[in-house]
Amino acid sequence: MSLLQTTGLRASYGQVDVLLGIDIEVNQGEMVVILGANGAGKTTTMRAVSGTIPRSGSIVFDGHEIVTQNAESIVRLGIAHVPQGRGTFSDLTVEENLRIGAYIRKDSVESDIERWFETFPRLGERKSQKAGSLSGGEQQMLAIARALMSRPRLLLCDEPSLGLAPLVTQELFGVLKSLNQQEGLSVLLVEQNANLALKIANKVYLLETGQVVASGDAESIAGDERIRRAYLGG
Amino acid sequence: MERLLQYVFDGLSFGAIYALLALGLVVVFRGTGHLNFAQGEMAMFCTFIVWQINDWGVPLILAVAIGMLFGFALGAGAEATVIRSVAKKSPGGVFVVSIALFLGLNSLATMIWDRAEGYTMKSLFPNKDVDFVRILGAEWRYKYIGVLIVALALMGLLFLLFSKTKFGLAMRSVASNPESARLVGVPSGLVLASSWGIAAAMGALSGALVGGINGQLTPSLMFAVFIYASAAATLGGLDSPGGAVIAGLSIGIGEQLVAGYAPGWIGQDLKLSVALILIFVVLLVKPSGLFGSLKVERV
Repeated sequence: MSLLQTTGLRASYGQVDVLLGIDIEVNQGEMVVILGANGAGKTTTMRAVSGTIPRSGSIVFDGHEIVTQNAESIVRLGIAHVPQGRGTFSDLTVEENLRIGAYIRKDSVESDIERWFETFPRLGERKSQKAGSLSGGEQQMLAIARALMSRPRLLLCDEPSLGLAPLVTQELFGVLKSLNQQEGLSVLLVEQNANLALKIANKVYLLETGQVVASGDAESIAGDERIRRAYLGG
Repeated sequence: MERLLQYVFDGLSFGAIYALLALGLVVVFRGTGHLNFAQGEMAMFCTFIVWQINDWGVPLILAVAIGMLFGFALGAGAEATVIRSVAKKSPGGVFVVSIALFLGLNSLATMIWDRAEGYTMKSLFPNKDVDFVRILGAEWRYKYIGVLIVALALMGLLFLLFSKTKFGLAMRSVASNPESARLVGVPSGLVLASSWGIAAAMGALSGALVGGINGQLTPSLMFAVFIYASAAATLGGLDSPGGAVIAGLSIGIGEQLVAGYAPGWIGQDLKLSVALILIFVVLLVKPSGLFGSLKVERV
């Protein structure tokens, strides 16, 4: 069942058109990866979906047209966005970051906080520390945990591996994979590290200069000679 | 000794008022990164509203409450209209707009309440000659004690709001990272307008307290108070509410000591420049203030 469907999604920064009509579909429970070079429009696609930039075309989430809605309402419908560069609240403590992540919820959030401290024990150990004092890997964990505090049905995750040590990246991807496979969380992931991404993805979209130039299930993309050479390093 | 105690005590009451206004500056600065130069004039205008409502026969305490509500609407309205639209285009423009608000409110007050000798402002607290207690030889006038208690109570409430409530957390999140705040669903426009509103409401209260102490109300009511409050906010650190309070109280005491002990030629007339020199020195030596935070970021 289609959870997210963009059709002819366009966006621009000033005079520069960045997205020239993107069609992407994420089904319930899928892990979908967007690959592409720098400047292809990956981050812009994510920001268009979460409503942080002006855009046109159509974005249907769970039966609602959201292309005209702003970020504050879209998160209420169940889309959580972990932005590139993590976007943690560096002046707030780790625990406060999690609490504000649950801003849209009216029910008790204590058990969720406990849960993410169990998943990411290092966050639990540092719960009273300012988020700005955490290492890059810990901040990325915090950013993901904060997004999940809103109990989203779709997680947008923009280059979580950026600037992280390989071991930390593996740990993060392990968590994303288990959230996806064991709890059925749908994920739309932007990733530079194509080898890693293809291992956990169901479906892949390849972006070039604002357009989808190839798409398919992870195995067929990984097996495509042309794509291998351009994006996977041989 | 009694004289010293008297200065310290009077200084605490004035300092509490400076701290209130300085807190307003800090609330706005933390939320939007702007200094609201109109903070003092907003307070003055609200104090005239308080006087006017009281003059129409409404009890003073109720008039002060209405004045604070008016202040909230004035501050929130200014942010939501002129400030926000200018901030989007050029952050430096906000400075100019707040100066314009300063002049505009001052002229408007002068136009509406046009009387050279000003108006008689009543105090919220008993204010006859005999209304004081003597502790350790110093006269503790009820109106000063009242000001101190009210100001400290409001500051306490504000700290609870900041640190214990969801709204306070939302305010701090917008101050820390506006884009991420939107992503988690915080209505940042509403939060920013509210911070300006809260700041202006505190200003309204500080204006009513100053007016009550002075016993007289003119459009220049908040001028000196605003200078002291700015010095307090700078000294304490523009992003530190605790710093604003401590610095406000210290400056209040310092002002009384300077006026009382310094050589005659400084006296009452020049003590304001002491505050300005203080601002200058702090900006030069420790720009983040005593309790302000330098941004620490790891990547």
